Amino acid sequence: MNDSQWARYEVFEQERAGAPHRNAGSVHASDAEMALGNARDVFVRRPNCFSLWVVPEAAVFAKTAQEVARDDWYAAPAADAPRETYLVFSKKGQPARETFVEYVGEVQAATPAHALRVALETFPPQDVFVWWVAPERRVLKSEQADAASMFAPARAKKYRMHTFYPVEPIMRELKSAQGMLDNSEKTTDND
Amino acid sequence: MNDTLLARNVLALADDSLLLGHRNSEWAGHAPILEEDIAFANLALDELGHAQLWYELHQELTGREPDETIFFRDAADYLNVQLVELPKGDWAFSMLRQYLFDAYENVLLAHLVNSSNARVAEIAAKQRPEEMYHLRHTSNWVKRLGLGAAESHRRMTAALNELWAYALQLFAPLENAQALTDANILPDPRALQTEWENQVGAHLTASALAVPAARAPRAKSRSEHTAHLRELLTEMQEVARSEVYGVEW
Repeated sequence: MNDSQWARYEVFEQERAGAPHRNAGSVHASDAEMALGNARDVFVRRPNCFSLWVVPEAAVFAKTAQEVARDDWYAAPAADAPRETYLVFSKKGQPARETFVEYVGEVQAATPAHALRVALETFPPQDVFVWWVAPERRVLKSEQADAASMFAPARAKKYRMHTFYPVEPIMRELKSAQGMLDNSEKTTDND
Repeated sequence: MNDTLLARNVLALADDSLLLGHRNSEWAGHAPILEEDIAFANLALDELGHAQLWYELHQELTGREPDETIFFRDAADYLNVQLVELPKGDWAFSMLRQYLFDAYENVLLAHLVNSSNARVAEIAAKQRPEEMYHLRHTSNWVKRLGLGAAESHRRMTAALNELWAYALQLFAPLENAQALTDANILPDPRALQTEWENQVGAHLTASALAVPAARAPRAKSRSEHTAHLRELLTEMQEVARSEVYGVEW
């Protein structure tokens, strides 16, 4: 890739304790620590966030269910190759529906492809149409000690929510006062 | 007597945050990358939010409404340090200014949360977590710009040499402020300065930036301003003061 931009990091957001980390999108950053900050500033402007993970896009091994079925991606690692922890994510449901790549668990493996193979044997593959695995050492996680400064302030900022601004009733009132509403607008319910 | 004195010191805190937030908002749409554009605009909004809290306390102490205080006060009556009124300069300049200010606010707020004035302590407690994040963000940037490329290091060095004496004004007390220190309402500015210099000095050194030798603040009194403040206020106050648009907000 001839790209002058900084590396891209996938961002996983956990809305509350116990909920799965869910892919929120991605940010560009010079390094993981900056990526974690950018993830906070881009994706945690609204409540709620309990924890954030970032992982370089280059460290994510991704396969669709069709690709997995072709089986040409797998080569068994050497028996004595060192194992490490990989995080496993999957996306379930219909591709056309809005669903998210979510964390499902971890496996011990020697290579990304090995990690995916172990994941396929470990986690139920029903309805999964995308798998991601990434070595845990490449994942930077927010610290719970930092939650007060990283995440808590967003909760008090109701003005960041679109619902804070009752723009439509105000516009309706203004237009009405100036006789600018046509008949169709007058009968439209306020949504 | 202490209320009038406190109001003046609170106004200085409010003006610092307001003008820094305003200056930083000038980066919206112009920051080096999209993510940082959002991040820096966030910091600017936080500073405006912190200013609002201090202006509200100022109103409790004086009866003057924040809008009145902000939009209908002339440059000569503003009590901000010159540091925050300077034009935004290049990215190194704005980032380093925000860092020096964040480091100051962090040492200041650590004291203010224990203020004997309950409202001051309450407001400080509200601002502190956000300021901790600001400092983390700007510390990261300072380190990367300082240790980054030859050009980023050159720009940071130039910015630091320019900003240092302006930053020292943050520790020049307002007249008679000693009474507030004696009453444990505000911290001793000399103690603050020592803490700030220790923290900032260590971080700058770790970022390959040499702490300037200047020991005297660029301006001694918060009533002294550069011509930049008048220009900034002319623009910021224009709509509120306009006969056409200056209606109910």
